[in-house]
Order: sequence, then C-alpha cells, then structure tokens
Amino acid sequence: MLQCHVKGCNDPSLSFPLQLKDVELEQVETEQNDDLLANLLQKIDWNALQMTATELGLASLPETIPDDPDSDEAFMIKLHEVLMEMNITQGKMECRGCGHVYPIKDGIPNMLLAEHEI
Amino acid sequence: MSSKPQPIPVDAVSTNFAQEEASHVHQVYDQIAPHFSSTRYKPWPVVESFLDNQLAGSIGADVGCGNGKYIGVNAKVFVSGSDRSQGLVGISYKRGFEVMVANNLALPYRDGWFDFALSIAVIHHLTAFERRVQALAEIARIVRPGGQILVFVWALEQRGKRVFDPHHQDFMVPWVIPKNTPNPPATATTAPVAATADAAQGEAGPAEPQVYHRYYHLFREHELESLVTDSFLNGMLGVVGRGYDKDNWYVILEKKSSVSCL
Repeated sequence: MLQCHVKGCNDPSLSFPLQLKDVELEQVETEQNDDLLANLLQKIDWNALQMTATELGLASLPETIPDDPDSDEAFMIKLHEVLMEMNITQGKMECRGCGHVYPIKDGIPNMLLAEHEI
Repeated sequence: MSSKPQPIPVDAVSTNFAQEEASHVHQVYDQIAPHFSSTRYKPWPVVESFLDNQLAGSIGADVGCGNGKYIGVNAKVFVSGSDRSQGLVGISYKRGFEVMVANNLALPYRDGWFDFALSIAVIHHLTAFERRVQALAEIARIVRPGGQILVFVWALEQRGKRVFDPHHQDFMVPWVIPKNTPNPPATATTAPVAATADAAQGEAGPAEPQVYHRYYHLFREHELESLVTDSFLNGMLGVVGRGYDKDNWYVILEKKSSVSCL
C-alpha cells in the first residue's frame, strides 16, 4: 500500500515495497473480513508481501496465492493475521531506491517529506 | 454575554504557502488537538451515507482524518487514515485506527490502490488554488478508475454561528478553548510552543479562554467544482454529485476509467 514518494525517486522496482527495519511487532486480534481479504488479494503485489513477511520473520505465507484462496480457510486465517493483525509499534521503513527513512514511532508511521522532496 | 471572536479577513496571503500553512494550520491543530477532538464526534449524514454505500470489503483513504471520526463508521470497509497533525493522528491511533502522519500534497500511497477516498474539511486549509488542485490530484492518483472521492469544504455563504465578510474569501478563524478546559498536548515532545497562547496549564486548564487562529479559504458556490473543471484534473475526474450541507459545499468526484495515472 505504501511507497516512497520522494520527488525523483520513481523507479517502481525500488520505491516499492519499503524495507522494514528494526521492527517491533505486536499482534492485535481483529474480526476477519473475507470480503476485504478477497479485495486485498486483487490489489496486493504478492511477491512484495511475501518478501516483507519473510523479512519480519512471519514465514507463514505460501510463495504463491493458492488456486482457490477464498475457500482455503487456513490460508485466509494466515492472510488475515499478517495483513490485519500484525501492527508495527516501533521501527522504520527504508526506500530501496533513494534510501529515505520513514520512522514508525508508537505505532504511527511518519510519512512527511521535507519541502524540497515534494 | 461576552463578544465571541469573529473571523478576521486576510487581505493578502503570504506567498510562502508552506510556511503559512505550517504556522496557521499545522501548528494550531497540534495545539488544539485534544479540545478540537472532543467537539468532533457526530458523523455528518452525507459522509455517513457515502461510506455506507461502499461495497463490503472496499478499501478507502481518509485524507485529513482528524480524530478518525469517519474511519470506523462502516465496519465492512477498511479505511486508512492520514493527517498532517501529529496530535490528531495520535488521538486516532489511540482509538484503534490505522493512521499515519502525511501531507496531502505528497501522499505516500501507491497509484490506484483505493476504492474510494474522503477529503472532509481539509483543502480549505490550503492557501492557493494550485495547492488545492494538487491536493485533489494526489487523491485522484491513489484512487482506482471508477473510484469515488467525497470532498467537503467550508462555504462562504454559510449562515451559522459565524459571519464571514462576503467580500473576502481568506480568513483567520478563531478557535476558542473555554477557560478551565484541560487540553493536554497530545504530542508533548513535538508540539511547538504556542505563539498566541500559553500552553502551560494544570489539570483544570488555564483560567482564561485561549484563542487560536486557523487559516481558511472559504468556498463560493461552484468554486469547488472549478478546481476540477478549470484545471488539468478535468480530464481525469468527473463531478457526479454536489450539494450544500452543514455550512459546507461538497462534491462527489469519480475517477474516469480511460485515463492513465499522473
């Protein structure tokens, strides 16, 4: 969902996904919304999600989306956990292209840029 | 009755737009965040029905989400909130919402990611036509083709408790924190020191009312549509609804399906 938006940093192969570093995670249980998960599956870059989840030590997602994901209950539960329940409380997101660092403090990412970067 | 502070017309907005917005919008919202938030809890009906009309499982962006009062309105959709005010974002987060600090003029989201977006009482804080257009352009960028955007701005023609000189459109609008109101800074470490009011206060709040001023551009009828029809946005957005509600003009914009992203 997030990408680097520094002006001039527009190599799509590098500005997304942002690389998470020094991350503290917490899991907060939420109600599973299968309509939302199905919609997210249409939008998500699966390789990027898989890579990010692995970097965070959440090695529970398969390398490819199952053929019939909506009816794969175990898969949908894992997807819900990774996408909707894992919150990053501390850490940073770093652009693989320009190196810009977006800090995450007390659960809140700061995506502001300096005026010259807009 | 004590006289209520009234909006002050601004003859010429400084051309240092970013600095103007930093001192007369961003810093003020950080200073008034807790009190402001305590007055913002009832969803406006037009916004509520726009949210309720979204398909179950839709993903939306609330750009300028304030205290997050619209994020949880429809439990069947997911809304990512962002705001320029760290104080207000902190309040949204404590209410359990997914929020971040971001600038409407440079949103951190991917192109075409969202099914819908909200811009409620936000772009009237921007100090130039081009910046209001840019704010809508960024929202249009992150919405998918066919996705709708609901935009609310303050109306110059409003006949509520505030009176605006109809010969002006740019105002400093007072925000008054009544005396003895606790307003603990939401971000004690980042909130800038108040220039117009002393931020130091006990639990009961200061003994005198505190007055802060926020910059607003008040919109005339049809001016909101003109941000689209009189700019490069005309090719990428269509106006599919408009109206007047609660002292505001609003439009519903739809991203055309035949255009490429900016």
